[in-house]
Amino acid sequence: MFKGVISLKSLWWQMAILAVLLILPFTIPTFYVYVLSLIFTTALLAMSLNLVLGYGGLFQFHHGVFYGVGAYTVALMLTKTSLPTWIGFVAGPIVAAVLGLVMGLLCVRLTRIYYGMLQLSLGSLVWAIVFRWYDFTGGDDGIHGIPLPSALSSLNGSYYFALIITAICLIVMYLIVKSPFGGTLQAIRDNPVRCAAVGVNVRRHRLIALVIATFFAGVGGVLFVTVERSVFPDLLFWALSLEVLIMCLLGGWFTFMGPVLGAAIVVLLRTFVGIYTEYWTLILGATLLLLVMFLPQGVMGYFQEKFKRGSKATAGRT
Amino acid sequence: MDFLPDIGLATLGSQFLVGLSRAMILFIVTAGLSLVLGVLKIPNAAHGSLYMIGAFIAYTVATFIGGATGFWLALILAPLVVALVSLIIERGLLRHLYEREHLMLLLFTFALLLVFGDLVKLTWGAEFRSVSPPGIFSGSFLVFGLPFPRYNLFLLIMGVVVGVGLWLLINKTKIGKISRAAAVDREMVSALGINVSWVLAIVFIIGGWLAGLGGALIAPTVNIALGMDHTILIEAFLIVTIGGLGNMWGALLGSLIFGLTHCFGVLLWPQFAIVFPYIAVVIVLIIRPTGLLRPTAW
Amino acid sequence: MMLQVQAVGKSFGGFKAVNEANLTVEKGELVAVIGPNGAGKTTLFNLITGQLKPDAGRVIFKGEDIAGLPPHQICKKGIARSFQIVNVFSRLTVFENVQVAVLSQQRRSTNLFSPARNLAVNETNNILKSVGLLDKAEATSGSLSHGDQKILEMAMALGSEPKLLILDEPTAGMSPEETLATMELIKRLASTQGLTILFCEHDIELVFSVAQRIMVMHQGRTLIQGKPDEVRSNKEVQDAYLGGGECC
Repeated sequence: MFKGVISLKSLWWQMAILAVLLILPFTIPTFYVYVLSLIFTTALLAMSLNLVLGYGGLFQFHHGVFYGVGAYTVALMLTKTSLPTWIGFVAGPIVAAVLGLVMGLLCVRLTRIYYGMLQLSLGSLVWAIVFRWYDFTGGDDGIHGIPLPSALSSLNGSYYFALIITAICLIVMYLIVKSPFGGTLQAIRDNPVRCAAVGVNVRRHRLIALVIATFFAGVGGVLFVTVERSVFPDLLFWALSLEVLIMCLLGGWFTFMGPVLGAAIVVLLRTFVGIYTEYWTLILGATLLLLVMFLPQGVMGYFQEKFKRGSKATAGRT
Repeated sequence: MDFLPDIGLATLGSQFLVGLSRAMILFIVTAGLSLVLGVLKIPNAAHGSLYMIGAFIAYTVATFIGGATGFWLALILAPLVVALVSLIIERGLLRHLYEREHLMLLLFTFALLLVFGDLVKLTWGAEFRSVSPPGIFSGSFLVFGLPFPRYNLFLLIMGVVVGVGLWLLINKTKIGKISRAAAVDREMVSALGINVSWVLAIVFIIGGWLAGLGGALIAPTVNIALGMDHTILIEAFLIVTIGGLGNMWGALLGSLIFGLTHCFGVLLWPQFAIVFPYIAVVIVLIIRPTGLLRPTAW
Repeated sequence: MMLQVQAVGKSFGGFKAVNEANLTVEKGELVAVIGPNGAGKTTLFNLITGQLKPDAGRVIFKGEDIAGLPPHQICKKGIARSFQIVNVFSRLTVFENVQVAVLSQQRRSTNLFSPARNLAVNETNNILKSVGLLDKAEATSGSLSHGDQKILEMAMALGSEPKLLILDEPTAGMSPEETLATMELIKRLASTQGLTILFCEHDIELVFSVAQRIMVMHQGRTLIQGKPDEVRSNKEVQDAYLGGGECC
């Protein structure tokens, strides 16, 4: 099954990076371990968005909702019920995917900006309900001090958990992108009319992609809970969705690993710029401005193009 | 849970008027957004920032000068300053990007939203501000036997004035006709020898002016705070979508729906009042995804 | 009879783009639709392949009324088309473009976990070979010349293994050499693969030399459908063309 999908050469340095990440907690200060954990969960979120944005061409304006819903589901199950932890972990992505399915059924027949607008309103509805339902969701305060099994409650524990889950999800997403499903999805992105004319049920295809993407966003939400041990309504507010969009754009949304890079950059910026100034949003906004004006294909996209032009070989498939 | 308390006709009527006055502010702001959307084809996320800047500037002017003069001066100056900011944005940055993909333009305006948000924080700090309405507007008079703030009546009047003014501008002036033509076919207008670039700039500035006016008008009734930009932006985007992108009457209709459902929500279920408008939006978009009224060629 | 279009009509606002159009296509035939600009040819094709729903009339394909079905279902029933304006997946390679169609035909579009690179390779390559694009298989389709993109359009349609192939102005924008080559290709496809082909064209000479039967449209109506000689000598056709378009 893997033959011909992952070339041995690229596998080499991917393994190397993984090895480095595995031993890192023993060599760097705990704060950086925390930051890295955050990067993993955010990267997963960004990658899940790009599945429908970069590969699917959908104007997914409020992807953050599924992240938040996944997180809140776990949080509520772990604090309000005495069900075992792993059930909460599984429930998070499933609830997110169900919500994705419902929203998809409503939105997927729409095109472009209308899709984004309806999603924005549905997502805001979810946010408003969670924000106001103080008794159940903690409202503005959120939920804190979520109990986790001892293996995960340490910083290193949550780090490795996040790393492994993220890595697995990335591999699965890669397989999906390289499968007939992924190829057809990209074709739908490029030309939905043509796709329908060759027999593809465009609506159903997009719906499946959406459910997959929202499932992974839900997984990201679960990881968030294991790293932060708390949830708050901001996770559902569209400002976060905007940030995730920026991550994809920053990294390069026509590349596979671009969103990961974008997530890393944004989280690092937020953390380290935030130490020196409270105006980190200004920096983010300025970065986005420069990006749009000068580097619309994103950092990784830029390098990929340079690499393609440099080597005169025929362009490989992304 | 305070659900469905005793509601009399008087309460309904009074709340209806409050909702109406709230809708007027939404209309003023949303009309600006819709105008820019219809003619320039850009959903301007920075519109929220312009609104917030209008409110903060109104605060500064009103507080600095004080009294009724301060208020009126604020009402005049704030929109003008915001219009100036819009001019700078359009001429300096935006007009170089018109040829880009829509998603890029949208993201660009989002970037402006982020930048301006922090610039406002830099200039005014993070605390709440407030402005009191001038003497003649303080207090309320009785409508249906219940108090109705005088300032809300002023808002109602302003809404009508702005609405009529906009209608006249769009339908009876030369610039209005040119703008409507440019909304449909920009190249054609250019081919007729008209400087389309300046038409777009003027429309953008008017949109900004409206946002600034909305901010200045709402200043006496709310806490002027950071985050105003995000809240109004989402509301305006949704209103514009349910009304029909680029449609002025749609902006009015959408604002009415939004404002009134919110106020009746306050009556029916105060804790979840803000949910009601969102539900209304969802229902409208499910039944009519392209909005209630015809969009202007999107 | 493979395809029968009966009294089909379509209006946009008050404008009747297609009005009482009739067309028949027998199995294995090579039928052409001609008409001056604005006659409604592309609209008619869109009505047959599902991009538009007819306001009136029936579209009967192999005994079944397919009018109003969505495009992907019509494709699954055995009709494939190429578009007048080049409509390829510009970011994908030539190979991938055709592969999408083939995979769809094999009902494998939603296959999630097999690497696409290994699937349907032979079928895709065969199609590319038959249209002469095999040497350009790895090129990004957006970078091809216009003529090659039109051929790619045709190749994608072939990927659906259609019983009826509908080509909307397959030589539009091509040089004279490319046009001749494409017509040869169409003739070859009809004879070697036993495909039933319906196409529309502006170049009258080409049509008369290639098609077995010709349908003439004018202002949304069908004037006549018949063999080339019948059409050539028909008075209404001569009026229509002398009135507004090229002369036959």
